[in-house]
Amino acid sequence: MSDPSAQLLQRIVCQWCQTQNEPNAVACRSCGAPLDVKNLVSESGWREAPRIKDMTEIHFGSSTCQVEGEIVPVAEINLGPGDSVFFEHHVLLWKDDATRMSVMPLSGGVKRAFAGMPFIISVATGPGRIAFSRDATGELVVLPLHPGMELDVREHAFLVGSHHIDYTYLRIKGLRNILFGGQGMFMDRFITKGDSGLLLLHGYGNVFERTLKPGEHILVEPGAFLYKDSTVTMDVEAVKLTSGFFGGTSMNLARMTGPGRVGIQSMYVHHNTE
Amino acid sequence: MSQEPLRVYDCNWCGQPSDGTALSCPACGAQVDVRAIVSKSGWSELPGRKDMAKLQFGQSFCQVEGTYVPVADMSLAAGDRIYFSHHVLLWMDSQVKVSAMSMKGAWKRMIAGMPLIMTQAEGPGHIAFSRDAPGELVALPIQPGQAVDVREHLFLVATSSVAYDWIQSGVWFTTKSGDETETHYPLGMFLDRFTSPQVPGLLLLHAAGNVFVRQLEPGQTILVKPTAFLFKDPTVHMHLHFERPAGTWRSWRSWGDRYIWLRLKGPGRVAVQSAFEPVEDNGRNITSHSGGTERQW
Repeated sequence: MSDPSAQLLQRIVCQWCQTQNEPNAVACRSCGAPLDVKNLVSESGWREAPRIKDMTEIHFGSSTCQVEGEIVPVAEINLGPGDSVFFEHHVLLWKDDATRMSVMPLSGGVKRAFAGMPFIISVATGPGRIAFSRDATGELVVLPLHPGMELDVREHAFLVGSHHIDYTYLRIKGLRNILFGGQGMFMDRFITKGDSGLLLLHGYGNVFERTLKPGEHILVEPGAFLYKDSTVTMDVEAVKLTSGFFGGTSMNLARMTGPGRVGIQSMYVHHNTE
Repeated sequence: MSQEPLRVYDCNWCGQPSDGTALSCPACGAQVDVRAIVSKSGWSELPGRKDMAKLQFGQSFCQVEGTYVPVADMSLAAGDRIYFSHHVLLWMDSQVKVSAMSMKGAWKRMIAGMPLIMTQAEGPGHIAFSRDAPGELVALPIQPGQAVDVREHLFLVATSSVAYDWIQSGVWFTTKSGDETETHYPLGMFLDRFTSPQVPGLLLLHAAGNVFVRQLEPGQTILVKPTAFLFKDPTVHMHLHFERPAGTWRSWRSWGDRYIWLRLKGPGRVAVQSAFEPVEDNGRNITSHSGGTERQW
């Protein structure tokens, strides 16, 4: 049988990012997840982010990204001419002399700082190579953004995004969210319109994802929150542990309400943010 | 009967010849017969050392155990000696003789980077070392006449034949605010220099995260985050490189509109670690700096 429509059906759908791959592929073309791996979902519904095999290559535009190392993985990008990526400059590891650097103009004069440094989004433009990593053990989470997606990410967790992604940030609303949310005042938002893009996050420890149905909710330690679809709402609430004369003891948890994906990290670090 | 060939396999990590019959290189523990892992940009990842790889030095052995926070587990033969700083000691047999290191000989006592007191252990017996962070254990065999310059504070343990010296890193810049001048050393003030004058020695470093090494051709350059620098051959020159991005506006004074790089120039080997401290830069005007280059995009 050499029916071309039958051949089209022989595709491996990536369980992590849903991209269709060639039948003989061993790693997903757009997110690097191994395709021969069993679909790992815990009984409670969390899917573990795929541990990307060393030296896996991921494609976007005319550029490639190679993920190297498994303790503190490095994302090394070979930018095609005219392709560009954006990032916070503290994640830079090394680059070629010739890779052009510029700064993304951000709207609004909101004062945002990271570790005492002003918040600047840098842009590297090809041709040329540039590599990124973070300061601690963790996992590189590859999130290919299909057209028309909107993703909210914990601030300072994103490593690098490709130029087809629109970047903006939100001020987190509500005093309780800011004071007890454990993640500062801002959340990064990544939006794709007509084109798809590639977004790399760095999660501390291991990263897990689950998809919430409409109206379904789950309580998450605020410091563990890593990313969510913008359709998921997040509200930090106090969960009473004891009741007492002076109000008792309570802990703060983030209530995430579906529909959409929620990603968490297993080792949470509270950055000092201003 | 013809003689067995003396060298059939050159280790792709340390370059040492061996007969290729072992699972791992007897000099540095790298896997033998593994596909050499080189990223397309030319960095080799520290070879996937098999758990429990065994290294030989003198009559003693070192087994590297674990892949997350690796342990160097030494089986010291009688009379073989190693030295280390005491905070990396994990466990030891009671018959291992431990003493404060004699300051005579090749070992120079100094106030620089490394602790003032080194501890020496003498076989026979087992003794094991580890550090307090996830990372890689880097084995660097040092041949007589060879030298390696290492970022300070990464030293784990070395055989007694390895001589330790230090050199000024020579990489600094000063910033000024009002009357206050601050000097920054993005590599630290000193580099550790290890040599092994008489016999081959073994040096073990602990690096944070993953380790990548590459060979620079004469005149070839690469820009590296200063705090990610791990080690280099003494033939590799380094200096500061300031890069200013296009499209910036000068109001972000506290950022300084600059990336501070370490520019490495071949020929020779360079290595980086993938986890790093942030580069200390208060963004103020740089009033003076060690030799450097600049690029405005």
